[in-house]
Amino acid sequence: MILEMNNIRKHFGGLEVLKDISLGVDSGEVISIIGPSGSGKSTLLRCATFLETIDGGEIKYMGKTAAHSDENGNAVYVSPQELRAFRSYYGLVFQQFNLFPHYSILKNLTDAPIHVLGKSKDEAEATAMELLNKMGIADKATSYPYQLSGGQQQRVAIARALAMKPEILFFDEPTSALDPELTGEVLKVIRQLAEERMTMVVVTHEMPFAKAVSNRVLFMAGGVIVEQGDPKDVFDNPQEERTKQFLRTFER
Amino acid sequence: MTFSTMLSTMSAGMVKTLGIFVLTLIGSLPLGMVVALLRKSRFKVVRGIISIYISIMRGTPLMLQLLAWYFGPFYLFGLNIGNWRFPALIIGFVANYAAYFAEIYRGGIESIPVGQYEAAEVLGYTKTQTFMKIILPQVVKIIMPSVTNEVITLVKDTSLAFTLAYQEVFSLSKQISASQSSFMPFLIAGVFYFVANYVVEFLMNRVEKSMDYYK
Repeated sequence: MILEMNNIRKHFGGLEVLKDISLGVDSGEVISIIGPSGSGKSTLLRCATFLETIDGGEIKYMGKTAAHSDENGNAVYVSPQELRAFRSYYGLVFQQFNLFPHYSILKNLTDAPIHVLGKSKDEAEATAMELLNKMGIADKATSYPYQLSGGQQQRVAIARALAMKPEILFFDEPTSALDPELTGEVLKVIRQLAEERMTMVVVTHEMPFAKAVSNRVLFMAGGVIVEQGDPKDVFDNPQEERTKQFLRTFER
Repeated sequence: MTFSTMLSTMSAGMVKTLGIFVLTLIGSLPLGMVVALLRKSRFKVVRGIISIYISIMRGTPLMLQLLAWYFGPFYLFGLNIGNWRFPALIIGFVANYAAYFAEIYRGGIESIPVGQYEAAEVLGYTKTQTFMKIILPQVVKIIMPSVTNEVITLVKDTSLAFTLAYQEVFSLSKQISASQSSFMPFLIAGVFYFVANYVVEFLMNRVEKSMDYYK
């Protein structure tokens, strides 16, 4: 297992956003998380990437514990230094790309490998150019983020995450900030990564994409996983009333 | 007094003016960053003290602050410090300008989207790396026009040194004008300030342009 999240609880003020959620991700799996807004999908990703701290539960990467519940059920994290080591296991692609505007595209891809992982400049640049090639934007290496379209920026963001050689890649609604005509080029790249057996967890509203690309679909609502399974089963033959109701809204 | 004597006396005063200007910037630009960061400290007491300090610096006249720094040690604590005029002057300017710069920095830091911090965090940058490599360069670009404004104001504010009878160009122009019954010293002082600020504007423009490569 690359990632294990067990009995995750999280609340914001009085609102319980995650109620006892468990999720395991095996190597090579592509998991789509769907559900209405406010269902806790993004929060789950943000907890998995330590951008939010869980109230209770357990998070493990590669069998190593990053957080666990103490005897009172409260989450205890490893030290900040140890936690930083966990960051090399995963990458996260944001809805808003969050590229560094003052760095060229190439530097966006090489700076963290050099200054966080300690790679040599040559090695980092070679990896970066390879990834840009793969994303079809090698000609943009010396450009700056503002000169790129949203779709291109998001592909750079994916490349930036991949440059860190993560075991697992998370996507938080990667196409939601894009014009409809630009979503295709980003989805195509994710599909390509899926074919290469990259382990991925994708929070998305793109139902046809989720159905076509993932091995497993999770439907979340109200802070719980209502239903999960093979995409064909979940989309074509949902068992839960809440799932049926949600999927119907996409038929219009 | 001939025009050239006047000019050379006042030039010496202008050097002192520029001295105040440069020392104030050297002190207040970095101190402002410290103040801005302390203002976001996780300790409530620190935040409270800093916000009171900024309020006082911005809420009272700089002229009054200079007098307080100069006379305060003697009247409040009975201290008689030798050669205190110039240090008091610089401390007064630095303390005041640091407060203004701190607020400019704070505005700049707060305008950086939280996504920049999150992206850096996920990539494994340390807090220091995140601030120095990702946040600060973007802050500098954003605050540059406000900093330019403040620096130009400082050139003119150095004239407040006359309250402590420090012989910079403005004090001198008043003295020479009175003794020679001439308007010329004021004209010369005006030209000096204007030229100094023209240079400041030119240099700051260059700096701003050098950061135009991204948006």
